Amino acid sequence: MDEQTIIYLGATIAMVVLVIANASSFGIFGALAVALAIVTAMIIVILNYADFVLFPVFTSMFGIKITPAKGYYIPKSSNSVVKYVNGLYYATGYLSANVYSYVFTAESIDESEEQKLGEAPDKWERIVMNAGFPFRFNIISMAEDVQRYRDELQGMRGTFEFRLSKEESSSSPSQLTIDDLNKKMSIIDARINRLSSGERPVDAVMYIESTAVGVSEKDAEDALTNQLNHLQTLFNSFDLSITRVMGREVYHLFTFNYSLPEHEYLLQTFTLQK
Amino acid sequence: MLSFIFIIMTYVLTVDPIIKLALAAIGLAVDVVAFSTKLYMSFFIPFMQMKGRNAVIDDTEPFTLAPSGNAIVVRKGSDIFASAFIKIPAYRSSTEMNAEEKVDFSRLFSRALTISKVPVKFGAQLYVINKDAYISNIKNKLDEAEGRYQSASVSKDVPKSESERIRGEVTMWHNLFDNVNKVRSQSLDAFAMVTAQGGSEEEATNLAVQQADELASGVSAVFGVTASIIEGEEILKYLEPDYMIPLATVSEQMRESHASEMT
Repeated sequence: MDEQTIIYLGATIAMVVLVIANASSFGIFGALAVALAIVTAMIIVILNYADFVLFPVFTSMFGIKITPAKGYYIPKSSNSVVKYVNGLYYATGYLSANVYSYVFTAESIDESEEQKLGEAPDKWERIVMNAGFPFRFNIISMAEDVQRYRDELQGMRGTFEFRLSKEESSSSPSQLTIDDLNKKMSIIDARINRLSSGERPVDAVMYIESTAVGVSEKDAEDALTNQLNHLQTLFNSFDLSITRVMGREVYHLFTFNYSLPEHEYLLQTFTLQK
Repeated sequence: MLSFIFIIMTYVLTVDPIIKLALAAIGLAVDVVAFSTKLYMSFFIPFMQMKGRNAVIDDTEPFTLAPSGNAIVVRKGSDIFASAFIKIPAYRSSTEMNAEEKVDFSRLFSRALTISKVPVKFGAQLYVINKDAYISNIKNKLDEAEGRYQSASVSKDVPKSESERIRGEVTMWHNLFDNVNKVRSQSLDAFAMVTAQGGSEEEATNLAVQQADELASGVSAVFGVTASIIEGEEILKYLEPDYMIPLATVSEQMRESHASEMT
């Protein structure tokens, strides 16, 4: 969770707490005020963690279609962007796909990473050969401030070092905790070494995009769903967590085809794969 | 802030409890709206100005091609952005690599992502090749060969062997025409995209192209290939869904699917 989200959550939940704390002054409506406050808190938490569920429910319930640009629309299901041209419907949908472990390998100390890296090009080619329909794999990467990142890492390392020495000097040290802390410190050391070798830390948003065509909107959307399901199966060989993008993020990903946002905007809009 | 005012009013005002409850309800509703602005800022105004059931965020073209043809221009209110694309011709197949080379290639990919200070989109796109021109060329050759065969058939001056040769040519073009429609040809492209903001279209375009040049140099050095800026109509292949699946191919595909359903 980024700092801005914490501030937003804290400030809005504080309002809820203020209402609950003052419930006694509402007289006979005290219980109702508390219930309203709890419902508000629940809505805020759901918005924060599952807005991809709420948004499509809202647009489907009220039948709202969104026009993100001339010639395109996001249907009420909020799971694709449709373009109508030459009597055909082109539906484009998105899948989130974090291939982080394949991209920033040196941060991991797992020995099997080398093997995974070696297999990655073969797996990718198999996906391309078996897809049989258009798709696009996208990675938006943004370099971070090196010094700030180094300071962050050194701060984290200091914390782990302190916890390790505390654990080792305790009367009954847990070997599991010691191993875990050592592993975390090795990962941080690997990151620091990569910075020293001149590499920049990056934030990334990774997603897959596919387009299907049909003679009606439903036809195109059904074909798109089939294609995305097929892609999910194909990319399973990478052992990734892949989910279909729904709701507001569909709009944002659509706009990224034409212009990339600034780093800060991406930090606010997506949970980045650091 | 507005939410805070409403809720504080329930503390300081000595009014009827029902009015206090109403103030608290308004405060909480405003609270939810305030939190939503973090996620739904782009949607608030279109939803409020909605006519019927269509929320229009933008009713203009999503982009225009820059006059120089090497970037696209996007206007968001008074802000002007330009995006330039580079093609990364990394054509190595994993079947040509040994185990060590495969690991190295994956590492190069990782290194390429850290090249630029500005946000960059790297993409690999599998798309359907537009065979319109190729199909049209074959069709013309077929029509021409059929015409010649008909003339040869009715003419007494043309020897039989020549007529047979032209008939063979007609069969060849027929077979080629049938086969080219049966198979959907696909291609895989790797590309990268950068965006720059400027005070004018020209400034934004120049900045984007400059960034794309720098990125192309970096990518070329990492992968050992010659990355170049994409120009003209080819840019559309990375933007428009109907360029990913060309119309002629779709029509043919639908005709075949219809024919197979009939049989």
